[in-house]
Amino acid sequence: MKSRGSRGWGIVRVAFLAVLTLFTLLPMVWMLLTSLKTQFAASQYPPEWWPKNVTFEQYSLLLSPATETGRDFLRYMFNSVWVSLASTVLGVIVAVPAAYAFSRFRFPGRQLLFYSVLLRNMFPAVVFLMPLFILMRWLHLVNTEFSLILTYLTFGLPLSIWLLKGFYDNIPAQLEQAARMDGATRFQAFFQIVMPLSSPGIIATAIYSFILAWNEYLYALVFLNDKSKLTLPVGLQRFFTEYTTNWPGLMAASFITSVPVVVLFLILQKYFVRALTEGAVKA
Amino acid sequence: MAEIRLHDVVKTYGSMYAVDHVSLTVADGEFVALVGPSGCGKTTTLNLIAGLIEQTAGDIFIGERLVNDLDPKDRDIAMVFQNYALYPNKTVFKNLAFPLKMRKMARADIDVKVRAAAKVLDIEHLLERRPRELSGGQQQRVALGRALVRDPRAFLMDEPLSNLDAKLRGQMRAELKRFHQDLNATVVYVTHDQLEAVTMADRMAVMNGGLLQQYDTPARVFDAPVNTFVAGFVGSPAMNLVPAIVVNQGGSFILRGSAGWNFPLSSRNARKAVAASGPGVILGARHSTIALHRTATPDTMPGRIYTVEPTGDITFAHVRVGEANLVVSVTPDVRLAMDDDVWLGFDQNRLHLFDGVTGGAL
Ligand SMILES: Nc1ncnc2c1ncn2[C@@H]1O[C@H](COP(=O)(O)OP(=O)(O)OP(=O)(O)O)[C@@H](O)[C@H]1O
Ligand SMILES: [Mg+2]
Repeated sequence: MKSRGSRGWGIVRVAFLAVLTLFTLLPMVWMLLTSLKTQFAASQYPPEWWPKNVTFEQYSLLLSPATETGRDFLRYMFNSVWVSLASTVLGVIVAVPAAYAFSRFRFPGRQLLFYSVLLRNMFPAVVFLMPLFILMRWLHLVNTEFSLILTYLTFGLPLSIWLLKGFYDNIPAQLEQAARMDGATRFQAFFQIVMPLSSPGIIATAIYSFILAWNEYLYALVFLNDKSKLTLPVGLQRFFTEYTTNWPGLMAASFITSVPVVVLFLILQKYFVRALTEGAVKA
Repeated sequence: MAEIRLHDVVKTYGSMYAVDHVSLTVADGEFVALVGPSGCGKTTTLNLIAGLIEQTAGDIFIGERLVNDLDPKDRDIAMVFQNYALYPNKTVFKNLAFPLKMRKMARADIDVKVRAAAKVLDIEHLLERRPRELSGGQQQRVALGRALVRDPRAFLMDEPLSNLDAKLRGQMRAELKRFHQDLNATVVYVTHDQLEAVTMADRMAVMNGGLLQQYDTPARVFDAPVNTFVAGFVGSPAMNLVPAIVVNQGGSFILRGSAGWNFPLSSRNARKAVAASGPGVILGARHSTIALHRTATPDTMPGRIYTVEPTGDITFAHVRVGEANLVVSVTPDVRLAMDDDVWLGFDQNRLHLFDGVTGGAL
């Protein structure tokens, strides 16, 4: 690989990647810069490229429980954390045993069941909006966080199960047998030997589910009306309509919202690569 | 240590008998080698004893206790797996400590036991390493250590040496034998390698197609195979087997091959031959019991050299006799060339006769 391709190709490759990086990074940078400007500076035309008077005023506003804006924002944030965390934890609790069962046990309908789990991912999310809404209404869950937690659970599970199954496929059954000979029960063998070995997969799927839930907008918009229950993406959109003129405020809110995603993604990509190379390839 | 007893044990997968009515007793302190071709049910038998799979029928006893319904953890036997099955995320120390921890032993006692086992196996300096940082031989020792750190009632080993190179295998073989004698351990040892079986085992169980073919000392299995399968499986090279028919020539019996040769039988062998279920029998002879003549000799089997394999201290000559191919050993000073005509002489006292239909020894 290394010797092939001339210098020219190398340059093209670097240039291509540079453009791509710029394209994705620029909006982030602009968001951050704007959030640090004063309202007046943000509305200048031609734009002020670099903030002359850096101010953290918007951040302190958003994160202070003293103001109404701050209270709202913190409320949304808390809701988002709660919904994302709950669906992530539930997701792991469901995905781990499901993946293990698919990998280890032979039962009638196993293949069919496995593919029907994956089937969910073949349809765009919007297709399920109405059916799920009706289902939630029937369950009396509309306008509660649980409607979102359940929905996000179904979003994250297919990939989580598939990825984890790959992990369990690659962990030799003999390890569990050895543990059972050494005096462990089936459960102990699983929790003490198999589970730690699949932890990169569990971490990867957990982060993935978390990001999925954290970013979700459509279902959150439809399922929740109560202002006190909104999650960040929907809450942000409210900010857009209510504070149209406060660009730095909006950008600060957007920036705070995207920080967890970026941080988690940086962690995720490391585990994701491990998960894909160690696990899922052979699934 | 304890005795292991299998009584009429069956394991089926669908309609396939992986283990077919096997009865076998491993005496307390005995080393039994389980041999047979790939897929004959060796691992299945071991897993049944271990309790990792459940038998379809039959009883398994360990010591006095019927263990049919016991979990592996309650059978108190240790197993060494072919690929060692060391816990990759635990250090060597923790690998060795795991069986003790599962038995809720106090931490201080665990430490003492693990260090003692490590000392015996000469892996004390490796205790803080992880399995992937060990060589194959070292991993093998750790696997063995994990088995003997607690005092199990018996050891089960599934081809524990097959992943090692030839030299290390020889060395580990000696150590395993030593370990068995020092501990007076009950061992069931699965192997593909007959040399391992012959050198280490008190008794050998030869399996084929889920059936136990012969269960006897290595010497008896080698000298008195009960059927053509065992004769053809044990020994390297395996026993030569040549089909023939028994012909009565005026009261004395001869063997006649389809290639036209005649071989008179001693009265003892004649009595055996006539006991066959039909006229067809199979003549069996080990390579070392066949005399190779360069000139026509009475009462011999004429053949032609196919190839010659010098191995250093012994030379194997492959001889074609009609359809059959026989391997005969000669000293290296015998100069043989391809397509030479030779005559094979059989020792009446050391040849074997098998039933042409059932394959059973006569
Ligand atoms: N879980 C299973 N399901 C179906 N068939 C099985 C299963 N396990 C083993 N078998 C079959 O049972 C037979 C015996 O298998 P076993 O693993 O005991 O063979 P083995 O003697 O250990 O062979 P090898 O020397 O190759 O390890 C084989 O034909 C195998 O295909
Ligand atoms: Mg096997």
